[in-house]
Amino acid sequence: MEEQMAKIDLSNISHTYNPLDPKPTYALNPFSMTWENGKRYAILGPSGCGKTTMLNIVSGLVRPSKGEILFDETPVTDLKTEDRNIAQVFQFPVIYNTMTVYDNLAFPLRCREFTKEKIEERVKAVSDTLNLSSFLNSPARKLTADQKQLISLGRGLVRDDVAAVLMDEPLTVIDPDLKFRLRRNLKEINEQYKTTLVYVTHDQNEAMTFAENIIVMDQGEIVQVGLPKDLFEKPKTTFVGYFIGSPAMNIFHSTVSSDHEVKINDTTIKTNSNLENLKDKNVKLGIRSEFIELAEKEKSNTVKIKLTRVEDFGNFKLLTGKMGDLVIKSKVEREKPIPDGELNLYFPPEKCCVYSDEKLV
Amino acid sequence: MSKLYTFLKYFFITFWTVFVVAPFLWAVSTSFKDFQSVNSKVTYIPWLDFEPTLEGWRVLIKSPAKGGVDIVEPYFNSIFVTCTASLISIVLGTLAAYALSRFTFKAGFVRNNDITFFFISQRIMPPIVLSIPFFIFLSTIGLLDSLLGLVVVYIVLLMPIAVWIMVDFFNRVPKELDETALIDGCNPYQAFYKVVLPNSIPGLIVAGMFCIIFGWIDFFFAFILTFTEVQLLPVKVVALNSSITPWWSLSASALVSVAPLIIVAFIVERYLSKGNLSGALK
Repeated sequence: MEEQMAKIDLSNISHTYNPLDPKPTYALNPFSMTWENGKRYAILGPSGCGKTTMLNIVSGLVRPSKGEILFDETPVTDLKTEDRNIAQVFQFPVIYNTMTVYDNLAFPLRCREFTKEKIEERVKAVSDTLNLSSFLNSPARKLTADQKQLISLGRGLVRDDVAAVLMDEPLTVIDPDLKFRLRRNLKEINEQYKTTLVYVTHDQNEAMTFAENIIVMDQGEIVQVGLPKDLFEKPKTTFVGYFIGSPAMNIFHSTVSSDHEVKINDTTIKTNSNLENLKDKNVKLGIRSEFIELAEKEKSNTVKIKLTRVEDFGNFKLLTGKMGDLVIKSKVEREKPIPDGELNLYFPPEKCCVYSDEKLV
Repeated sequence: MSKLYTFLKYFFITFWTVFVVAPFLWAVSTSFKDFQSVNSKVTYIPWLDFEPTLEGWRVLIKSPAKGGVDIVEPYFNSIFVTCTASLISIVLGTLAAYALSRFTFKAGFVRNNDITFFFISQRIMPPIVLSIPFFIFLSTIGLLDSLLGLVVVYIVLLMPIAVWIMVDFFNRVPKELDETALIDGCNPYQAFYKVVLPNSIPGLIVAGMFCIIFGWIDFFFAFILTFTEVQLLPVKVVALNSSITPWWSLSASALVSVAPLIIVAFIVERYLSKGNLSGALK
């Protein structure tokens, strides 16, 4: 079988579902992106942010209002879905009820007129990976919901010539134990066959453990593309800060007081950001609760808070405190003794992110 | 309390069964009676109450010369017209319904729902309103009093039923099923007949059942649009009646008229009891 995997380019793509409206609302704002051959991508974002639209544009179910899609530099924007060589798995199991499990898995290959031997070989390989071997001859409709979803997944993976396998929250209906194993299987398949995998999810843990590159979306906009580490340590917008991490990033209204300092209420916090052009402007300061440290006594870059709650999560303690009317959350080691009442928290300057207009400075 | 409930439950089931089955049994028994056993006093049980005779049945196939009315030819006419019209209605109706369910149509202010309603509205009209247009239409194209003319009219009557049932059915088939088929490499036609259609067999059976029932029982149009050349069963059964009502042959003809529907009911019931008629894809 010749290798047909491809680099996928999305160039200036935008999409609206009501193009005739004088003021169309865009499900996807203009963006450009490249998906490299053989990598794993996760598209992460809240419901209704345009993730599914993006997948449907790549698979050809939706034609973008503007822009172009290229597979290996060849434009495919006007190519029909069935000619595109893309596999897609939907959120809820879609199976061909009237066929057996074997026929379900073989269907994509039969449609593309593979040889009988090839079909047998591929179906066997995929059913082994997905633990479906013992069901091959049973009618697909008799299986449980998560087995059905395995069939959907299998139909996506059975063709080894696809440009990419797109998955739209495929593991929602699968129980957690199996979910974990399947995610690892998908990773193995990607490493073994170098199939490009694109995985849509609203679960950050799923995205972080699965993908090499994470694309964070919000309201039809791609807000950040990067490695899990970047998203965690340097969120490009306050939205990413809120959305990634648990608990969400601490974000405070503050004013710029000098080139490198901001003021929260009356406390001055030093940061590593260059704030020359923002003097006296209102900005936001963001810091992960993981990076806030307990300080013995007041020093520079500490804030004084009144402790309101301590939650023990087993592996760490989550402190919630108040500074005036601002709420601060901090994760500390379980063993650390927590003083009662008032305490000092240290903000390491290199971990402080300053946001102007919700964007990282 | 629960005993009372059980009692009431069985009481009503028994009552209802008797209510439904008794007329049939009555018709069966009547069809074997002669003039004497119907008109003198109430009789129920053959050989005990009355001497059974096949006269009522014999009249139905005997030549008219001997006082009978031949219903064999109308019977096959009815089967032909009902089956042909149902089949064509189902084929056209299913295609129309799929299009209405999956594609967006716009013509002026007309949208998909309006087109669907237009189909259904054909059944809202009282049949009497349609009788004159149909009569003029068939006489213009020269199909009055012919099987083909009846088939044409019945397609008009049955297709709305097929469209209505199938639009509803296809709307409940997730569009992801078609999309998956496209992604798997089917073109839209293959997606329809390889994937969507096999999944729609329960819907097709229900639509087919309704078409057959409504086609088979229609009296009105069969009565208005035929004279001597072609006759359908319901018209012929009514024609059995004369100055002395022949209850025995009427009962017999009623039973043979109902028989095909009972057979259809038994076939469909197997699918109904599987419980996969509505939620075939859930």
